[in-house]
Amino acid sequence: MTVEVRGLAKRFGRTTVLDNVDLRVGPGVTGLLGPNGAGKTTLLRCLATTLAPDAGEISAFGLDPARHEQRTALRRRLGYLPQDPGFYPHFTVFELLDYVAILKELTDRSRRHREIRRVLAEVELADRARTKVRKLSGGMKQRLALAQTLIADPDLLVLDEPTVGLDPEQRMRFRALASRLGESRTVLLSTHQTEDVAALCERVIVLTAGRVVFDGTPEELAGVAAGRVWISDTPPAASTLFWRTADGRYRTLGECPPSGETVAPAIEDGYLLLLGATSANAGEGAA
Amino acid sequence: MSGMSEMSAVWHPPADLVRRYATGGLDPVQVMSVEAHLARCGGCRTALPYEPEWLAESWERIEDVVDRPWPGLGVRVLCRFGVPEHVAGLLSATPSLSRAWLVAVISVLGFAVGSARVTSGDPDALLAFLVVAPVLPVAGVAMAYGRAVDPAYEMQAATPLSGSRLFLLRAVAVLTVALGLTAGATLLFPGPLGASAAWLLPALALSLGMLVLSGHLPPLLAGSLLAAGWFGAVLICDGVLHDRFLPFQPAAQGLYGVAVLVMLPLVCLRHRRLAPGEHQ
Repeated sequence: MTVEVRGLAKRFGRTTVLDNVDLRVGPGVTGLLGPNGAGKTTLLRCLATTLAPDAGEISAFGLDPARHEQRTALRRRLGYLPQDPGFYPHFTVFELLDYVAILKELTDRSRRHREIRRVLAEVELADRARTKVRKLSGGMKQRLALAQTLIADPDLLVLDEPTVGLDPEQRMRFRALASRLGESRTVLLSTHQTEDVAALCERVIVLTAGRVVFDGTPEELAGVAAGRVWISDTPPAASTLFWRTADGRYRTLGECPPSGETVAPAIEDGYLLLLGATSANAGEGAA
Repeated sequence: MSGMSEMSAVWHPPADLVRRYATGGLDPVQVMSVEAHLARCGGCRTALPYEPEWLAESWERIEDVVDRPWPGLGVRVLCRFGVPEHVAGLLSATPSLSRAWLVAVISVLGFAVGSARVTSGDPDALLAFLVVAPVLPVAGVAMAYGRAVDPAYEMQAATPLSGSRLFLLRAVAVLTVALGLTAGATLLFPGPLGASAAWLLPALALSLGMLVLSGHLPPLLAGSLLAAGWFGAVLICDGVLHDRFLPFQPAAQGLYGVAVLVMLPLVCLRHRRLAPGEHQ
């Protein structure tokens, strides 16, 4: 396993953000799903060595980030995309990546610039190398943030909501890039998009209220809702989560009545059931 | 003549000659001859054996020279002063080495020197300069690194050079610039140099105090505490002890000197623990 976490806990004031989290992450692409405030970002920050946990242990490549020397060694093998990556707006795209490359100990200028051109090509920003960061669109900034994670070819990629701000075409390209990276590296990404998980993750972890409530394959997550997704011509009477589909029928999450017609569940169905969304008001669920 | 042209048009260096050219086995005259032909003949150039990796690297080096963006003014200035290119690149992102910050510091110092000159060495102007000058380097270091002042902090915090190494690098650069500018202002100050240079030891003591504290506190908080402590001490000297210049008398200077001697080895010994705001 690349990353092992045991009994991880973190509090901010009186709020418990991570509560005794245990997980193991190996090579491939692993998705971290959870609602807002579930603790995803805090967990990823702990793994990315930018935040110290209050309790518990983290081990990545056998290195303990609580120890100064081992933390530095781990950072040499790490690429981290924060949820809110700040930039120096007066820098150009090339200058920003050059700066990060130096921070990643690429001191030789030719080698550094070669690496910058490589990552710019990976995220298709090569033609923006001389553009000031402040002039980039949101999607371009997100791609720039992704580019800096790829510098020095890290073995472990920790990506906090990498598809935010990307248009559908860019998201497809990101998926292709992430799945390619996952062939030989460990990629751990958080997302709100169950489609991203379905498309590229071999494994999914669901976090809610600071606890791991599911750890398995995307198919297993969808399986949580097996037999509990059904279609009807009229709105269901029970207090369940349902919505009207494009063909005018009602797709419902919850216990299927004898007259109901069950359909194959999606990852989103399993995820919503895990979160207890079935108790939501039916009217609120209608879109 | 036409016969010679036809002959040169069809002549190509034999394979053995090309091989010896590629391996460096020809004398200079033969090299010139072969190269003159290669310049005109694409077929022979293509047939010339070469190492693909070496050629790719050579092209990359050329591409880098041609396509490399022109470094920023700050980087060029630092390189001119002998700072290695990659170190200059790192320092270029320091918030308290930005143009706006430097303009602010120079303005404060310029105002102090200007008012002292206009008032012909008024003690109040000297006192204001001596009180403010030690805080400038502390403020610079406080604004040099940390989550609160650096927009890209979270992104760079996960890199191997972040933490104590980057903080110390930035702190040394900021201290050098701030102390240098203040020293320049001191030379322009009217009156005896001894009086106007009385800020130096308190500045060094406060700066080292800043580095020591930053091992335990985020730098912005550490700097704020030190600045508040310094201004508080000055106010007490004036309001309670009724001696405005007490913080700059020889006895006080001796205390600053002792503090510097105590803190300097502390900073050197604990330099790896100076990871302000990091991993908290």
